[in-house]
Amino acid sequence: MDIQEVIRQQVTSNPVVLYMKGTPQFPQCGFSSNAARILKAAGAGNFLAVNLLLNPEILEGIKVFANWPTIPLIFINGEFIGGSDIVTEMFQSGELQALLAKKD
Amino acid sequence: MITPEIIKAGIEQGMETIHVSVTGDGRHFEAVVVSEEFAGKNRVQRHQRVYQALGDSMRDEMIHALTMKTLTPQEWESSR
Repeated sequence: MDIQEVIRQQVTSNPVVLYMKGTPQFPQCGFSSNAARILKAAGAGNFLAVNLLLNPEILEGIKVFANWPTIPLIFINGEFIGGSDIVTEMFQSGELQALLAKKD
Repeated sequence: MITPEIIKAGIEQGMETIHVSVTGDGRHFEAVVVSEEFAGKNRVQRHQRVYQALGDSMRDEMIHALTMKTLTPQEWESSR
């Protein structure tokens, strides 16, 4: 299966997906760590975390898929929401919690 | 080495801006970008516009991390 198709299936079959360096328990980058922490605090529940350090094909593919050069990347209900700074801003304004309350 | 000045110049060359300020330590940077071009665009589209302005330096990961605030001139006025 084409890597773009793999990514499309990941983000559409999971309500919340975080593409990050490392894992939520053992993040390998401060920005990935921040994103995981914020998703948890905002009530994301069990989200899919994809460790890009172990998946180099997805790492290259996701940059094209989202037209986004930095890590982490957050998807909610199949839609690309942004990176660490955008989810932080949305968490502070309450937008993220509202969006997560509507997740499928 | 990438400096805040290089990033500022890159953004200013790649898009129409009213104000750009960048701080950082060579690996992590924070930018405030004010542009008319952001009107009617969401946060993702605004960030994508700045990444596009920076071009290769983002793609080649010379800039490890860039935290951004992207504002229209009106939003900038009301935030001050």
